[in-house]
Amino acid sequence: MTAGSVLSVRHLSVDFKTDDGTVHAVDDVSFDLAPSETLGIVGESGSGKSVTSLAILGLLPTTATVTGTVIFDGENLIGRSDKQLQPIRGERIAMIFQDALTALNPVHRVGDQIAEAIAVHHHTSRNELRTRAVDLLDVVGIPHPIERADDYPHQFSGGMRQRAMIAMAIANEPDVLIADEPTTALDVTIQAQVLDVLERIQERTRTAIMLITHDLGIVAGIAGRVLVMYAGRQAELGTVEDIFYRPCHPYTQGLLASLPRLDRRATGDRLHRIKGQPPSLVFRPSGCAFHPRCPVSDRDGLCATTVPETRVVDGDHVSACHFATTLGLRQEHE
Amino acid sequence: MNTPAMLSQRPIEDPDLAPGSGPVMRTNWQLFRRRFFRHKMALVSIAVLAVLMVACYGAPWLAPYKQGAQNLLNSDLGPSTKHWFGTDDLGRDQLSEVMYAGRISLTIGLAVAALSTIVGVTVGAVAAYFGGATDQSLSALTDLFLILPDLALLAVAVLIFSQSYTSIVVVLAALGWMYMARIVRAQVLSLKEKEFVEAARASGASTTRILIRHIIPNCVGTIMVNATLSIALAISTEATLSFLGFGVQPPQNSWGRMLSDAEAYANSSSRFYLVLFPGLMLLLTVLAVNFLGDALRDALDPQSRR
Repeated sequence: MTAGSVLSVRHLSVDFKTDDGTVHAVDDVSFDLAPSETLGIVGESGSGKSVTSLAILGLLPTTATVTGTVIFDGENLIGRSDKQLQPIRGERIAMIFQDALTALNPVHRVGDQIAEAIAVHHHTSRNELRTRAVDLLDVVGIPHPIERADDYPHQFSGGMRQRAMIAMAIANEPDVLIADEPTTALDVTIQAQVLDVLERIQERTRTAIMLITHDLGIVAGIAGRVLVMYAGRQAELGTVEDIFYRPCHPYTQGLLASLPRLDRRATGDRLHRIKGQPPSLVFRPSGCAFHPRCPVSDRDGLCATTVPETRVVDGDHVSACHFATTLGLRQEHE
Repeated sequence: MNTPAMLSQRPIEDPDLAPGSGPVMRTNWQLFRRRFFRHKMALVSIAVLAVLMVACYGAPWLAPYKQGAQNLLNSDLGPSTKHWFGTDDLGRDQLSEVMYAGRISLTIGLAVAALSTIVGVTVGAVAAYFGGATDQSLSALTDLFLILPDLALLAVAVLIFSQSYTSIVVVLAALGWMYMARIVRAQVLSLKEKEFVEAARASGASTTRILIRHIIPNCVGTIMVNATLSIALAISTEATLSFLGFGVQPPQNSWGRMLSDAEAYANSSSRFYLVLFPGLMLLLTVLAVNFLGDALRDALDPQSRR
């Protein structure tokens, strides 16, 4: 565990047994999270982003087999029972869910739900809870928090619901905040507001944020470091500058190239695309999972036979590609 | 490309639920009231039940005669202004008797409904939430109780456990919780997959807390409707038991027992009133409770948003 990190994930793997075979949802993922840091986790649907976060909190169904370690506060969270994890969930590590409409209980008032998040961990008087809930609604920027605390979730707009979710998650000032696609269901202006709320809270509480998203724009704006995942494995991990300006994994390079850009003239009518389909997690390609779609793969050689280890490119910048170093050099020559 | 088709793919939002729809927005309570009061029969039922409850529970103060007070000089009188419901062969005022007996019938109905609701909701919710072996054994237990021959078992059980008031309530509840358990189980099975349950787990809530604070409040509609209907069922089952002689014993009295006492006169047209009034009370109560249940069902149905 790196000194000063609040959460340390090592060799985390999650398998699901299904009728079609074993699904390797997450395979050998390692990263650290420091206080006040925002780590962006990006990848396409099914790349294991959400499963990673659920595994950290032990929220996966019993059909999942989880191996590896998640060190939080000097203790391994993997393999702990629900009862042992309950004091940590919501109090030390909290989670913001993607769809706030379904993640809020429709029969409780918003203020009561926020109060409930506190009451789970602290014995506090009703009045005190109520005051805290209204304060929190104010912190996340809900106008007229005193009146709005008495509304039901369906009376809130999408952006307000997401803010209410954030208010619940930060109610106990957790050390780690896992935000699973917190802005996916929102339009762009509301997205910006919600991200702004997250940043303000981080300044106040020194919370470490794990931001799961598939939107590279959000990552560039808010994250300090980025983890790129592909087919359950980590493809590349580095600072935002590393990932965006010196990507050393062909998948990351493909992702960045596929973004529409104003500063480059389009070569044709279409945006760049990564050819082929994302792989099935049951029948994953041998060797590097990306090799069938990879522009630099040697096809039948190393790439198809050997799973690439994560190589240090420089400093904290690591890439799981056999040609990571050459790729990095090529980039710099361009 | 064909824009209209793409537009239609978009989920259509319910205007009532849309955020910021201002004046048309209604709270759940307003919606409930509006739909409930559309049932005119439900309103009549509430009035009928209110009158019955006041008359029965207020019997010690309201009844014209004391319970069981005999007056042989006034035996076998038909309905009159002095004895509205007539008198029996011992000269007991039937109106007073019906009022006192109603206390027992209504109490048994309410107590059985409350008890069987608590048991049914607990069994159903626990079975569904934990699943696996817990669900299998609890569901098997529910099915076992469902296939028991109710009436025969009730009669035997009441005889074994003494024919006291409490044992009748317990035995009736023991044989009446299964419907609630099945309904609640089905609903919790779908509720536990909801994201707000996962969010509650992520917030560190214990299983008990999740069940009580998050899942059961979402079943309140179903539970209320079925609890209401089980009041009616309990009252009529108690009446059946009492009629067969397995119910409450004198000096306690219930509507079913009054019917049983009057059985001898059932086909004597001159004493029709001995059967008519307790029977009418039973009919009124059960009907009113059922109408109330129907109205509650419509008013609490989340599917209909009218």
